Amino acid sequence: MAHMTNPLATVDQLYQRTSFSALPSDLQDAIFFTTQCLTQAAGILLRIPQSVTAQANVILARYWLVESPLAHEFSDTSAAALFLVAKLSAHPCPPRDVCNVYAYLLSPSSVLFKSGSSDKGGGVEDKDKGDPSSYYLSESAYASFRARILALEARILYSLSFDTHVALPHPLAITYLQALDFLDLPRAEIARRVVAYLNTALLSPQLLYLTHQPHALAVAAIYAAARDAGAKMPACAWWEVFDVDREELGFLVVGMRSLEGWVRAQREGEDGVLSAKANGMVTRAYVEGEMRKRGLRIGNGSAGDEMEDEEMALMRQMDEKASQLEG
Amino acid sequence: MASKSRWADTEEDAALEAKKKREKEEKKRLKAEKAQKAEAERRAQAEAEAAAKQRAAQEQQQRLEPPDDNIPPTKRRKITPEQDDQEKDGTTENESSAKLLRFEAGGWGKSRSVENYDKLNDIEEGAYGWVARAKEIKTGKVVALKRLKFDPNDASGLPETGLREIQILKDCSHRNIVSLREVVVGDDTSRIENIFLVLEFLEHDLMSVLGDMPEPFLASEVKTLLLQLASGVAYLHDHWVLHRDLKTSNLLLNNRGQLKIADFGMARYVGDPPPPKLTQLVVTLWYRAPELLLGAKTYGAAVDMWSVGCIFGELLTREPLLQGKNEVDELAKIFELCGIPTDESWPGFRRLPNARHLRLPKSSGTNTGPIIRARFPLLTAAGSALLSSLLSLNPDRRPTAKEMLDHEFFRQDPKPKHEAMFPTFPSKAGQERRRRRSTPNAPGRGQKAADLGTMDFSGLFASREKEERGGGFSLRMV
Ligand SMILES: Nc1ncnc2c1ncn2[C@@H]1O[C@H](COP(=O)(O)OP(=O)(O)OP(=O)(O)O)[C@@H](O)[C@H]1O
Ligand SMILES: [Mg+2]
Repeated sequence: MAHMTNPLATVDQLYQRTSFSALPSDLQDAIFFTTQCLTQAAGILLRIPQSVTAQANVILARYWLVESPLAHEFSDTSAAALFLVAKLSAHPCPPRDVCNVYAYLLSPSSVLFKSGSSDKGGGVEDKDKGDPSSYYLSESAYASFRARILALEARILYSLSFDTHVALPHPLAITYLQALDFLDLPRAEIARRVVAYLNTALLSPQLLYLTHQPHALAVAAIYAAARDAGAKMPACAWWEVFDVDREELGFLVVGMRSLEGWVRAQREGEDGVLSAKANGMVTRAYVEGEMRKRGLRIGNGSAGDEMEDEEMALMRQMDEKASQLEG
Repeated sequence: MASKSRWADTEEDAALEAKKKREKEEKKRLKAEKAQKAEAERRAQAEAEAAAKQRAAQEQQQRLEPPDDNIPPTKRRKITPEQDDQEKDGTTENESSAKLLRFEAGGWGKSRSVENYDKLNDIEEGAYGWVARAKEIKTGKVVALKRLKFDPNDASGLPETGLREIQILKDCSHRNIVSLREVVVGDDTSRIENIFLVLEFLEHDLMSVLGDMPEPFLASEVKTLLLQLASGVAYLHDHWVLHRDLKTSNLLLNNRGQLKIADFGMARYVGDPPPPKLTQLVVTLWYRAPELLLGAKTYGAAVDMWSVGCIFGELLTREPLLQGKNEVDELAKIFELCGIPTDESWPGFRRLPNARHLRLPKSSGTNTGPIIRARFPLLTAAGSALLSSLLSLNPDRRPTAKEMLDHEFFRQDPKPKHEAMFPTFPSKAGQERRRRRSTPNAPGRGQKAADLGTMDFSGLFASREKEERGGGFSLRMV
C-alpha cells in the first residue's frame, strides 16, 4: 500500500495545462487560487476537518490537469470536490448543507474575496451585507445546484480513474519535527508555522502537491518555518535523513515562500486578478470576459465540447489529416 | 453512436451494434491508412514538441517565483538553500553519494471504456450486484467485471460503499486479496452512469465449491485455505482495513489452489482507536459476531476473526456453521455452540445496548463453555482449540490474524497441502450457468439496526442436558 505517497503529475499533464483553452496563465492562476480558497472557506463553514478539506484541494487540482477549468463553473467544481472527499471521510456532508454554504459564500453577503472596508468600485452596499435573502436558495435552485454537483462528482472520479487517495504531508511534518531539535525555539511555534506553510501551499498555482511527494513537502515546510523563526538548524544536510535532496528542497522552499508575494501583487496591482476590480469569487463569466477583452478565443474545454466524444474527435482529426494530404 | 452501454442491451441490440461497430471499424481503418502517411511527419513534430513541453512544464512551476528572494534563484535547481553553512562541512561532495529513497507512484488520468472488454458470460446476477466474466479485447486476458451498484436518482450521489471498495482495492496489493486492474465506465461519458470494477478472474468462489463437493476438504486442504485466508486478513488489519463481510461466497479460489478475499463493499479504513460510531449493520447474519448482534458501536478487527471462525467450521462440514433465522435466533445458535457469556469470560458484555434485554439461563459448569469438540469430533485438539478461540464470545479473546498464522494447528500433521497439489473443481463462473444465492444477503444500506427487544434464552440449555437422550429443545422468544 502506498499510504505515504501520492501519484504525481506527468510532464505531459503540466504542459497540457499551459495550453488549455489558450487560457492565459495569470487567469489560470487566479482561478486556481480563488477556487482553492473557496474550498477552504466552505470546509470551515461546514466544520469539515482541515485534513479532509486539504484532500479536496488536492483532488480538485488533479482534476484540473485532466479537464479544463473552463469546463464547469469553478465554484461547482470546488463544491463537488469537497462533497466527494467528505463523503469518503468520517465527516460526510449532506448535499443540502454543501449547497447552502456555497450559496452563502458566493452571495454579496459573504466577505470572502472582498477587500476589506475600502469599497472602490462594484462593492456591495453595506445594507446588503448580512441580508439573508441574498443567499437564500430556492428549492429549484437547490435542485439544480445539487444535480450539477452530483454530475461533477462522477466526472471528477472518472477523470481520476476513481483514485481518491491523497497522502498529506502534515502528519509526516509533525513526526519529523519530533525527531529534529531546534533547541532554541519552542516546538509548538515552529509546528504552527510548518502547518501554515503546508496549508498555504495547497492554494498555490504552482501545484506543489501534484509534483512533489509528502515527505519532501514536509521537510521543505520545516526548513522554511525554521528559517522564518530564526531557529538554529543542524549543520549537516539533515534533509537527506528524510530522503530529500537539496535540489528539491531548494525548489520547494522558494515555491512555498513565494505565494504570499504573488497574492499581494495580484491584490494590490492595478490589473491584478485579485484586485478590488475583480471583486468576489472569480467566475467563468469573468474569465471569459477578460479573454474577450484581450482578444483571445475561448477554445476547447467549454461545456458544449464535452458532447463530442473522443471517437468523433479522432475521426475528425483523421479527416483533417487526410484532406491536408490530398489538398 | 452507442449512447447506451452494450451491457444493458438485449442480444439483438448487441448483434446490431456489433454490426454497426464493424462498419465503423472499417471506415476507421481506411481513414487510418490515409492518416498513416502523415504519421512520420507528425512524429518528427512530436519530438520537437516534447522538448518544448519539458521546458514549458518547468517554466510553469517557476513562474510564481519572485525575482529576488533571499534564497538563490532556482532556475538551474542546483542550489542549496543554505549555501554558506553547508559548503564548509563538505556536504556538497557527499551529496552525490548520499543514497536517498525514491518514491515511485503512478499518475492519474481518465478511466477507460468498458468497450475495451467483451462479455463472455454472467457469473452472478443477484438482487443488487452483477458480475460477469469478460475478455479484454486487446490482450485476450480474461477478467471479472463487477458493476458498481447505485441508483442514479440517489440524492447523495455515488454510494460511498462502492467508492470505498474501489479505493481499498486500489490500495491493496497482496496475493490473497483479489486485485483490481482498473475501473472502467460506459461508453457515453457525458453522463457517468455505468461503472465497472475490472478484477482478476478466479474460477470459483468457496461457497459454490463447498456446495458441489461430494466429499469434504481434507484436513491438509483446510489448513492451506485457512492459512491463505488468515494471511490476507492479517494484511488488511495491518493496513487498518476491516473487511466486515467475510463469508465463503466472498472468498475466491482459482485452479491453482490460491484463495483470494473479494467483495470489499462493506470494508472501510479504521484508525486506532477505531471511530466511535461504526455501523452495526455489517457482516452477513450467519457470520456476524456476537458483539455486533448485541449492538456494539465500537468494534474492531475481531469481528473479522469471528467470521474466520465461522468459515473454518464451514470448511469442515460444507455447511454454514451458524444458520440463524434472524438476529435473535443467530444469538441463540451462537450461545448453544459457544456457551453463554459470563462476567468472567466477557467482562462488560452486559453494558452492550441489546444485552439489557437478555435473559440468560443460570450459568453452570455445563453451559458456559463451547462444545466445539463434540460438534467436530474429527478435529484434532489443536484444531478445536483454534476454532474455539476464534469463536470466543469475548472479542478480546479471539486471536489476531497474525497470531492465527502461528498457531500450532498448522504445524501439526497433516501439514498444509501445497497449493499446486490442490484438487481442481469444475468452474461455474467459467461456464454459462448462473448460480442462486443461498446465504442471507449482507445488510443493505440505510437499513436500521434491529432493536432485538427482550430475548429469553433461559430455556436454551435444556438441550444440552437432553442431548444424550436425543430430545430436541425449544427456544422461547418474547
Ligand atoms: N474476480 C472474480 N472472479 C470470479 N468470480 C467473481 C469475482 N468477483 C466476484 N465473483 C463472483 O461474483 C459473486 C459476487 O461478487 P461480490 O461478492 O464481489 O459482489 P456482491 O457485492 O456480493 O454482489 P451481490 O450483491 O450480488 O452479492 C462472488 O460470490 C463470485 O461468485
Ligand atoms: Mg458478495
